Amino acid sequence: MKTKFTRICTSLLLFFALTLSAYAQQISGTVSDENGVPLPGATVLVQGTSNGVSTDFDGNYSISASQGDTLVFSFVGYASQSVVVGSSATVNVSLEPDNTLEEVVVTALGVQRNTKALGYSVTNVDGDEISANPTTNAINALQGKVAGVNITGSAMGAKGSSRVVIRGSSSLTGNNQPLYVVDGITINNNNLGAAGMWGGTDFGDGISSINPDDVASVTVLKGGAAAALYGSRASNGVILITTKSGLGAEGMGIEINSTAQFDTLNTSLWDTQTTYGAGSLGQVPSNSASAMDNMWSAWGARMEGQLVPGFDGISRPYVYSDNKDKFYEMGTTFSNTVSFSTGDEDGNTRFSFTNLDNDDISPNSTLDRNSLGINTTQKIGKNIRVDANLKYILEDQSGNPRLSDGPGNANWIVNNYAPSMDVNWAKGPNGDGRNDDLTEFQATPSIYIQNPWFAQNYYVNDAEKERVIGSVNVRWDLSDAIYIRGRVGADRYDLHRTTSEPYGTGYKPLGGINHYKLAFKQFDSDFFIGTDNLAITNDVSLTAFVGVGSNIVESESLAINGNDFIVPGLSSINNVANKSTGYGYNEKQINSAYGSAELGFQDYAYLTLTARNDWFSTLSLVDKDAPNNDLYTSATLSLVLSDALDFGDAISFFKLRAGVSQVAGGADNPYRLSLSYGIFGQGHLGASLGQINGGQIPNSEITPFEKNETEFGFDIRMLDNRLSLDATYYSNETVGDIVGVSASATSGFGSALANLGEITNKGVELLLKFKPVVTEDFAMEVSFNYTNNDSEVVATNDTNGNISLDEPRDRNLRVTHIVGEKYGALYGTYFERDSQGRIVHETSQGYPRPIVNSGRKILGFGVPPQQLGIGASFRYKDFNAGFLIEGKSGGQIYSGTNNRLIGYGLHQMTVPAGGREAGLVPDGVLEDGSVITQSISQAQQGSYWGRYNDAAEAGVRDSDYMRLRSLSIGYTFPSDMLEGTFLQSASVSLIGRNLFFITNDVENVDPESAYNSNNSQGLEFSGMPVPRTVGLNVNLKF
Amino acid sequence: MKNTFLTMLAFAFALTSCEFDEGFEEMNVNPNAASQVGVENKIAATILYTSGGRYENWRNSLIYNSTLIQHYATTAGYWSGDKYYRVDSYATSLWDRYYPSAVKGIEDVIDQLGKEGNSGTEMGIARILRVVIYHRLTDTHGDIPYSEAGKGYISGTLKPKYDAQQDIYMDMLAELEAAVAQISGDSSLLGNADSIFSGNATKWKAFGNSMMLRLAMRMTKADAASAQAWAVKAISGGTMTSNDHIAAVTHTDGPEGINKNGHGEVFDVDSQMRMSATFGAHLADDPRLSVLFAPGSNASTIVGMPNGRTSDTYTGTDGVSYAGISDRNIYAQTHPVLRGKDVPMVLQTYAEVEFLKAEAAIRGWISSSAEDHYNKGVTAAMKMLKQLYPASTAITDAQITTFLAGPGKLAATFPANWEMVMDEYWKVTFLNEYEAYANWRRTGYPTLSPTQHPNSVSGNQIMRRMIYPGGESATNAENYAAAVARQGADTWMTRMWWDK
Repeated sequence: MKTKFTRICTSLLLFFALTLSAYAQQISGTVSDENGVPLPGATVLVQGTSNGVSTDFDGNYSISASQGDTLVFSFVGYASQSVVVGSSATVNVSLEPDNTLEEVVVTALGVQRNTKALGYSVTNVDGDEISANPTTNAINALQGKVAGVNITGSAMGAKGSSRVVIRGSSSLTGNNQPLYVVDGITINNNNLGAAGMWGGTDFGDGISSINPDDVASVTVLKGGAAAALYGSRASNGVILITTKSGLGAEGMGIEINSTAQFDTLNTSLWDTQTTYGAGSLGQVPSNSASAMDNMWSAWGARMEGQLVPGFDGISRPYVYSDNKDKFYEMGTTFSNTVSFSTGDEDGNTRFSFTNLDNDDISPNSTLDRNSLGINTTQKIGKNIRVDANLKYILEDQSGNPRLSDGPGNANWIVNNYAPSMDVNWAKGPNGDGRNDDLTEFQATPSIYIQNPWFAQNYYVNDAEKERVIGSVNVRWDLSDAIYIRGRVGADRYDLHRTTSEPYGTGYKPLGGINHYKLAFKQFDSDFFIGTDNLAITNDVSLTAFVGVGSNIVESESLAINGNDFIVPGLSSINNVANKSTGYGYNEKQINSAYGSAELGFQDYAYLTLTARNDWFSTLSLVDKDAPNNDLYTSATLSLVLSDALDFGDAISFFKLRAGVSQVAGGADNPYRLSLSYGIFGQGHLGASLGQINGGQIPNSEITPFEKNETEFGFDIRMLDNRLSLDATYYSNETVGDIVGVSASATSGFGSALANLGEITNKGVELLLKFKPVVTEDFAMEVSFNYTNNDSEVVATNDTNGNISLDEPRDRNLRVTHIVGEKYGALYGTYFERDSQGRIVHETSQGYPRPIVNSGRKILGFGVPPQQLGIGASFRYKDFNAGFLIEGKSGGQIYSGTNNRLIGYGLHQMTVPAGGREAGLVPDGVLEDGSVITQSISQAQQGSYWGRYNDAAEAGVRDSDYMRLRSLSIGYTFPSDMLEGTFLQSASVSLIGRNLFFITNDVENVDPESAYNSNNSQGLEFSGMPVPRTVGLNVNLKF
Repeated sequence: MKNTFLTMLAFAFALTSCEFDEGFEEMNVNPNAASQVGVENKIAATILYTSGGRYENWRNSLIYNSTLIQHYATTAGYWSGDKYYRVDSYATSLWDRYYPSAVKGIEDVIDQLGKEGNSGTEMGIARILRVVIYHRLTDTHGDIPYSEAGKGYISGTLKPKYDAQQDIYMDMLAELEAAVAQISGDSSLLGNADSIFSGNATKWKAFGNSMMLRLAMRMTKADAASAQAWAVKAISGGTMTSNDHIAAVTHTDGPEGINKNGHGEVFDVDSQMRMSATFGAHLADDPRLSVLFAPGSNASTIVGMPNGRTSDTYTGTDGVSYAGISDRNIYAQTHPVLRGKDVPMVLQTYAEVEFLKAEAAIRGWISSSAEDHYNKGVTAAMKMLKQLYPASTAITDAQITTFLAGPGKLAATFPANWEMVMDEYWKVTFLNEYEAYANWRRTGYPTLSPTQHPNSVSGNQIMRRMIYPGGESATNAENYAAAVARQGADTWMTRMWWDK
């Protein structure tokens, strides 16, 4: 692990281990507004350092600074003021209101930059917007808030992973999710389990363990120019999360934030037929065997309360049962945070503890997450500042539901039981879905479809994750002009996943259990030297740095798999007849050298140039000729025209920006350049078993891919900043994408690694903000954001053939990349139609049935290109309210759920207007072109729809929707009410999420219920329903 | 300012001395994988893949094949073969599993043997195994990727062409001839990696010639002349001569799935299948009836279930009302002793060879006595049971003699004699459902009545092939289209070359 690289570069540190000392003194004073009224909470910063304090309630501050240092005073809504420290220990300033907001954002490598100078689009979201109306996965709270960022939760309930894509997918088969940087350190966002066509369970992702209550702000660096300095891992953009610090602590510095949320099923979504019950050919089951066989065949008779034999031999009235209501429970989430903050001019510290306790709507599905966080900033001597932070997260997931078409997915059977089948009948003799002999109480005709109660009560799908994220950042001001910074950070977690199929499971009579332990470690280090705002001439300033960095990722896994329990009911690895073990290890590293220079001209024109070279271990191989590294650059320009020209009062701020950038990327996974073999299993009759590892054909000459991006934009603010518009156009292309070129399975492999992919994305991002009313008592702000991203697959492989991604269990469709088309086509079987588009039917069985073409065509695209968010916030005296409407359009979804509902006769469309008894005359033509007039009898309608849903087309829908994503109404207790109490502030709010759809083009399921968060978007198949959430949030500061 | 620049430049210059990818080449080598393993390890795995896992043995072998040829019957809706329903993923399960495992493995084995300069016994054995694998695939689907298949790494072919079945047969026969010629001596170096013959080269040689005979006879409808020539060649080359030559993969009951007999794993979890009434009728006077099957719950006699029924009464497309079967338990189940996960998986038996010779004799291609071959075949078929399965399956010599003298006595005239031989072939290939299904399609024996469920996708006729995986029309579109153009529409009723 220790390489020459680290040794050499450590010596560089020593090379710069110079000491400079100067005389520091304590400066204090008062910050007031133009009328002399003290400004509490104003920021005082020693320029070029991270040494800063806030003013107290009376506008007073005290800070350590040296003569010649520049103090920068700032407060939101006021122009910043700089004062050079002279001999006086007192500096009082009065700030002037400013119409051109000076905003500072943290950009790449933790460098704070004035937004004015940025030549690219950055969006900042305040932490309050996340903690006030939280989602268990913090990133989901950003849905609809940031133009250009497409966030899709998975249909997995509270614990699921999320797919986040910025400015369109840039890789055909590789990772498309952004880099997450928490307090300056990159964290891992691996998906820890996902469902595929054969089912599976989602165990969340990396970002899902970040505590929403600790988030101070989220900054999205969308473009390549923004991300160039994070290197290859930032090729999909960067999401910077800054957690709360102790800066500006008041009073006792104690804050309590509590949220209680309640989830209930959104019953308005589910709308299946409630007229016909279980059976076949229009008849009720005549005996218990038939009742069992037809449990999800809603092709029976009209439900009229007649007594009908059940699968268990008991005859019961044949009536409708609302099974979703009976199966799912009310979910609850309680989140309680207590934090302590303290600080003075030399530093500050915040300590927080959060407990989140979630009970999901699915029985026995829980999440318990405890987060400890400590952030501290301390000045050492005059010129050294140390920032350190540590997060410890302990997460317990239990009873995670199985998804997609895998055995044990309770959602599947709850969705598909015929309307006359009551899910409570499946509880069996003991009320838990289990027989007295501990075997599954069989309540389905297939051993692969589990009794839902048995599945949720006795399957084990648990995970315990213990995670530590920590970093130390040291900045040393060598002189007034030059500083060096070193940063080290680590993200490590230990995952212990336990899954068990219990004794007595239908398809696995003796059961089995698996333990999987993963130790993941990621180390990042950076070392760089730079200068801030160095005046080169009177008009030209320079901010620049050069540095080196390294990223090392190591993961090691151990698995013990056991099969065949010996003592029934004891789900322990010590209780199995057969055991096997597995061991996995991988390691990869990226080393980098980089530099950046920002040239400012007269404080209104800024040109920023960056360059970076990354070396990839995953692209290194003995005797490889092709390069394992790539140099890439960016240039951005920002012109603050409102500072250069006089636009009068109408326009208070107007900035134009432009940027071009490159980012290079390596292969995500190591060991993919050469073929390897493994010995597997435990041998057979004394012989060992060997085979080729993996299903991908390796390629020894893989080189880094490149993503190029161009963006233009402007930021204009008018009417005293009441109206602002931020607009961006971007265009990016990925060339030489490292793709798994699809191979026919008959080649023996699923894909071949190649540098052949090419994809483009072009789009616009708009953010409009309007404050129609701003008075002392009443204020209102409306915001609107819109994104349109057009993607195109330009090249796939040497013959530009299709790249196949996942397929749903129905196997009639595949998410496929097709040259000339948008990203991720839903490519599936379809109805034969005549020239007028009418479905053609054959009559081989004496009645018409649709002809399904077994070829494939494009039926839609899984990623919606358009999204919008409409937010509003209101404040009236001490009350406030806000809502967010969020929508997406232009995409499609293959709804496996609806496709099954059609085939099983539960879907509304399977009931003709006059009822099934009156016969069905399908809309369409016969093969001779004549319009169908023949009526299909009730007995044959099951067969008709069974043929109909053979076509993938039958399950494809537009996934357009618009929903009320969040709503809150709050009250802040006025400060005079709190006088004489310990409380500094107190507020309470009522919150709601996903309350209702305004429009929704998909019936029965949430249009965003993809069963995984990988590149195959648009596949839905009996996931967890997305609930409505209401709750209460209380925030107290002492 | 000058100092600032100089310091930064010095730093930048110092960076150029760093070796940024030191150690990367070593780091990117998987410490837990080998760059090559012994060919015997690969053959051991490939043989197990050829026997197959629970997945394809359940879906293709049992759910489709065994009910199509009416060894089994069932009322369960997902047993698609009984009523000719369409379930794509069942029909393509052998293809889906074989190409990435058995095919990929055997092509790699042959490549490695070639590179190691092995042109002897082990290469011969590998080539025979390769024919066994592709033969099963082509008989299931017709034209298939063959000459270019499984070579994604070896030759970089990602989209193998589909070879015409006739070409595949001619090449497989030539391969068998060459392979048998390569085998010398009594033993191979494979030892216990060879879970079929434990390294016995002589038995592989007999198996190679017996496979040649099987392939030859499969061509009787399509190309009788070639069929005759290759059959004669196979027989003169030396086929299996006793039950000691039976080609069957030895299994153990664990520790993992790959070690187990795939059918046995199915029997463990799926109890839907019952002895077909058709099979029961043919076994009525056969001593194997009570050995292969156990009586149902409330019947003292062993009763077979009629094919094509459901739990409810329905009207078939022939207008007949088919009574619902509410209690499947009255019908006979597979005898427990056959259901083990440690019983051998049969690839080819000596009895089959004798029946094929009997047919060749009936056709006048060889001069030996058809009845003699037939009697040897029946005797071997009955005696092999105690060799493959627990001793309780033993059938006595007296029972065999009685059978051969009575109901099992070979008819004297054509085609009655041929039908009897083929009916026996159908019986002995119980639980080798790929072979039973293929031989029925070739000969039409035994005579089977199709089922009449209205949801049939084959027009209520017994399907003639399994359709191609839908994914091929996307990932291998041109070659797929060419195969369909040559062979006929990708439907269940399109007949493959030897079935025309």
